[in-house]
Parts: sequence; structure tokens; C-alpha cells
Amino acid sequence: METYQFNFQAMGCPCELRLAATDRSLANEVAVICTSETQRFESKYSRYLTDSVTSRVNNASGLHPVTIDPEVAAILDYSGVCYVQSEGLFDITSGVLRQLWNKNMRRLPTDSELEFYLDKVGWKKIEISANEVFLPIKGMQLDFGGVVKEYVADVLAAKARSMGIEHGLINLGGDICIIGPQPDGTPWSIGITHPTEGNSAIAVIELSEGAVTTSGGYERYFDIDGLRYSHLINPETGWPVEGLLSASVAAPTSIVAGSLTSIALLKTPEDGLLFLEECATPYFAVDQQLGCHGNLGEVCHA
Amino acid sequence: MAKPNPFLALSTAAMALPAFAAPQPVETIVAIKATTYQEEDVPQRDVLAGSDERYKIDIAQFRLLTPVGEKWSLGVDVAYETMSGASPWGTIMGADGEASLIMSGATIRDKRTEVSLTATHHGESRSISVDLASSDEDDYEARAVSISGEWEMNNKLSTLSLGMSYSSDDIEPTDALRFGRVQREEKISRSLSAGWAQVLNKNSVVHVGLDVTDHDGYLSDPYKLRDVRPDEKLEWALSLKYRRYFDNQNAALHLDYRYYNDDWGINSHTFHTGWHQNFGDNVRVVPNVRYYSQNEADFYRGTDDFGLATTINQSSDFRLSGYGAYTLGVKLIYSALQWDVSLSIDRYISDKSYGHDASDQSHPALLSFNMTSFGLNFRF
Repeated sequence: METYQFNFQAMGCPCELRLAATDRSLANEVAVICTSETQRFESKYSRYLTDSVTSRVNNASGLHPVTIDPEVAAILDYSGVCYVQSEGLFDITSGVLRQLWNKNMRRLPTDSELEFYLDKVGWKKIEISANEVFLPIKGMQLDFGGVVKEYVADVLAAKARSMGIEHGLINLGGDICIIGPQPDGTPWSIGITHPTEGNSAIAVIELSEGAVTTSGGYERYFDIDGLRYSHLINPETGWPVEGLLSASVAAPTSIVAGSLTSIALLKTPEDGLLFLEECATPYFAVDQQLGCHGNLGEVCHA
Repeated sequence: MAKPNPFLALSTAAMALPAFAAPQPVETIVAIKATTYQEEDVPQRDVLAGSDERYKIDIAQFRLLTPVGEKWSLGVDVAYETMSGASPWGTIMGADGEASLIMSGATIRDKRTEVSLTATHHGESRSISVDLASSDEDDYEARAVSISGEWEMNNKLSTLSLGMSYSSDDIEPTDALRFGRVQREEKISRSLSAGWAQVLNKNSVVHVGLDVTDHDGYLSDPYKLRDVRPDEKLEWALSLKYRRYFDNQNAALHLDYRYYNDDWGINSHTFHTGWHQNFGDNVRVVPNVRYYSQNEADFYRGTDDFGLATTINQSSDFRLSGYGAYTLGVKLIYSALQWDVSLSIDRYISDKSYGHDASDQSHPALLSFNMTSFGLNFRF
């Protein structure tokens, strides 16, 4: 049995499939299905594509409800649970605040600008029924960026399994699903990127089943007046958060692991660590002083 | 109440996503269930002859459901029952002017084995099942085949289901020569069913179903001293089901109603309501109550008339009388990650006075029973 590797670019990040199979044709077939499935999700949920459901809902904000299918409804439902469990920090309507916090702004927003955009943020303002969604305020926006990529990793893992893959790894820009151990029985080794030293690993996680996701404030950031700001924004204050530098969570599914890492990073470092402890699921976190926390993985270079 | 662990809360919510809620079973389920059913004895004063001891049935059930390949699943169900007790042979007018029962004398002992195999093909938005079933007792053999399908429509908000079944039963009463019973008879049943389920909003679903069944052949009770029924029966039933989930109570209400009508003249109404209350993630308690009422069949008689010609229909079977019944039950379920255990207790009472159109005379064989079930499910 051999492990075949496939790399492609989707949903704004590098994606990798490692599939063990006795012949290349099965691995190829699975890879074709997985890449086309990823593209289906991207064209359906991307906020950059005008005919995606996200764009249709966003463009209809303040105007009229938009019909949605059960998959979208289920993802919205799940996002609502994230909102509740994060006590309002994980909010798929907060993307609009990026208008104020981006590389091109080069200045802090004014209070009236903050007020203007915060008015368009709030999960609770969305009107959802079984087959329709309506953003009641003009300019409100949905952004499934923090949910769909993680979910797609689970979908691809399920597809690969159903097609007969028993050993494999799906990596969508750091959202990783494991399909059984490597063919020789050893677990897969997953390096966690060092938050400040780009190309080296701060820890290595070994996994044979389930999913692990990592996110870090270091991934995307910008400087204003010499101060560094994270791309993660608190939907209540409208300000970027100063949370943990990086968090990784292992869970049976990538979507759940991903939500937990996102929520942990949206909190203050202390609250983030407390939250991960409370979840009682394996995690690895790096605080702002590069201190390592958690019981997941082996620290190799702090 | 303590705040639930966010990991568990999110994991539970994620299970509703289509990738995890695949219609095809992705895991193998093995279930076993043990049930005891005990009818209460007939009051001695109502028994003219025979035993006052009624049926006790012990039932052991086994079920296996497993995916086969990517698009198929296979189910195997096996049930084994042992029965003991006496059954009513006839009803005659007693010396006091009240109906009295002639019960079978010695305790009847019998066992029944039922096996059914179901193969289901799961498509993108439809599934088709074929089911073969066989049931064997000392005096009764039944073979049945059914085919059914489900189609999801309107973005999975609606589901159409259609089914048809055919069964052929052979009846060979024990001690036929000794008691002058029929020796060998047959009956055939054919049925058609259609249903429509509609998701109304994210918390409620309604289901409407229609069933039509036609029975043909020997439909009398061969053990009764005088029981002559038509050799055809056409029945139909309309059912309505409503399910509503309450987020803030973490509970669901089930409301069911069924109307039944047949060409023997019986109309019946069944109301069944249950409250499915969850406590945390693991425990569910389901108190439920069922009410049933029917009027009597056209040829029902309170007491047997041995003077009538044997070609004229008559039956004193209490199940064909006008009566009503209540069932009160409670079910407890404890669920863990890969297994769950359930216990249910039901109490059934029936009386002519509970019915909407009671027979003139109260039937002494109308029964009460208790039923207790214990079940275990494993998933892997």
C-alpha cells in the first residue's frame, strides 16, 4: 500500500490530501471527488463570488429574505450554537468590521465609524426560518469563513472513507482530518507553526483518528502606528482582540475543533485557556509570552 | 443548572449537519430487548368453565442494522415469544343474566418465532426497501413481503413515502379433530400505504398517512366454539402526527391521531400523546398516554347464539365489541456515546364505558394488562 499526495489551492489556502491505497487509480478517484467537492463548497459559500448563497443573502440585506437549502440552514443553526457557546464572541455577522480593520486603513477607526459598523453586527438580528434567511439591516453581511472550511474537511474525510480509504489525512489550510493511522500503523505527525518564527514548528501532534485545527493571531495581522493588530475582531467592542497567539484543538470532527480554537482565540489569553480547560478536550495553546499550555502534542521549540 | 460543556454542546449541534446526518446508517447497530406482557386474570365470577388465567407472553427481540458498501444497508430482526395462559372460547348468557365466559381449560403453551430481513438502497434523496418476513407458531405460519420507498423533496422539507405489502398466512389449529375445529385454512392480506411528512419550521414536523388493507380468506377465530366472520375485510386508516421541539425546555411533544374504518362496521379513534423530556445530554424521560375507542362490528353479539345457522356471521370476540381503552406509560432512556439502555412500563385498562359507542353489554373478557420492556442498543 502506498500513500499518494495531492496538493491544490482552494478557499484561499493551500490544501493537501494524503491518501493510502493499493493502487493509484482509487487515490486519484478520491482526489478528484474531494477537489470538486471543495470547489462546490467554495462557489456556494464564498463571499467573493456574486452568485454564492452568501452574496445573495448579503446583497438582499435590508431588502428581502433569501431562500436557503437544508445544508445552509444546518450551517446557520450550528453557527447559532457557536454564538451562544462563545457568549457572543463567535459571530458570523462580524466580518463587516473588516472594513475598519485592514491593511489599507493605516489609522484607527473613529467612534462614529465604529458605531456605524457595529450597528450591522449581531447574530441575534438575523431572521431565520427553516428555508429562508433575512439580514434586516442594509449592509449586514454573513461570513461563513470560520465554519465552512472546517466543515468541508469533515465532508472530504467522510467521502474518502465511504470510497474505501482507511489511511489518510485531509489538510485544508490547517484544518486537518485524519482517516485512520498511516498504513504501517504509526500515527500522523502534525507540526504546529511557531507563532513568531514562521517556518519552524513549535510543537508536534501525533494523531491516528479525529481532527485537529490550529489558528493563530499571527496568521494575518496589520500594523497601525507601530502597533500590531490581529485580524480577529471582538464583535461587541469592534476592536481586534489581544488573545492567545495560537491554539490547536483535537476533536472527533474538524468543525467542532475549529469552532473551539476560534472561540479560544477571541477571548483574553486567560479566558481562552480557561475555556479550553472547560471543554476537557485535548488542546495546545501559546500565550503572548510564548508560554506553551495544554496536553496536546510535544513541545519541540518554544 | 450548570452550563453545558461547550465541546459537548457543539458536538451535538454538529451532528445535525448533513455530512454527519447521512441517511444511510454509517454505523452498525445491535439491539436486544426483553419484554414481559401479563394480562390480568378474568374475575372468577365471570368464568363459567375453564381457567381464569389469561395470557402471559415473554418476548425476546434482536435487531442488527448494518451498512453494506456505500449505498446499501441490511437489517435483520428476530423475535422469539413464549406464550402461556387460557383464551376465551365463547361467551354465553349466565344464570344471572350476565354474559359468562367459557375459557380454554388447560393452559395453552405456544411459541412464536419471527424473522425479517430488510435491504435498503440509499440514493441521493430517496431510499427503497424490500422486506421479507416469516413468522412461525405451532398452529400459525405467516409469510410476508413488502416494498417501500421514501423521496425527499422541496430541499428535504417534504418527504413522500409509499409502500405495499403482501402476506399469506396458514392456520392449522391444534386438536382440530378432537374439538371439531377447522383443520387447515388460509388468508391473504394486501396493503398499500402513502405518507407525506412536512417540516413546518425548524422545530416542528407534521405527518399525514393513509393505509388501505384488504384481507381475504379465513378470518374467524378457529378456537372459539362459534365464530363466523365474513371471509373478506377491507380496512383503511388515516393518521396524523405532529412533533414539536421546545428549545428552552429541551423537550419534544408528540401528538398522534388515527382514524380507522372497516367494512365490518368498526370505526375507531386513537389518540396518543407523549412528552419527550431530556435531562442534560444523557437522560430522556417519556411519559405518554394513549386513548382508544371503537364501536362494535355489525355481526358482534354479546353472547354466542348456537341456534343460528353456521352460515350466518356472528362473533362474541371482545375485540369486536364497542369499548374504549387507556394506556399509561413511561419510558426512561439513558444514552452514552456508543450504547443506550431503555426501560418502559405500560399499564392498559379497557372497559365498555370508556368507549364513544359502547356495546349494550359489557364484555367480561375485556382486559387489563401490564407490559415491561428492557432494551439495550450498541453502535459501533
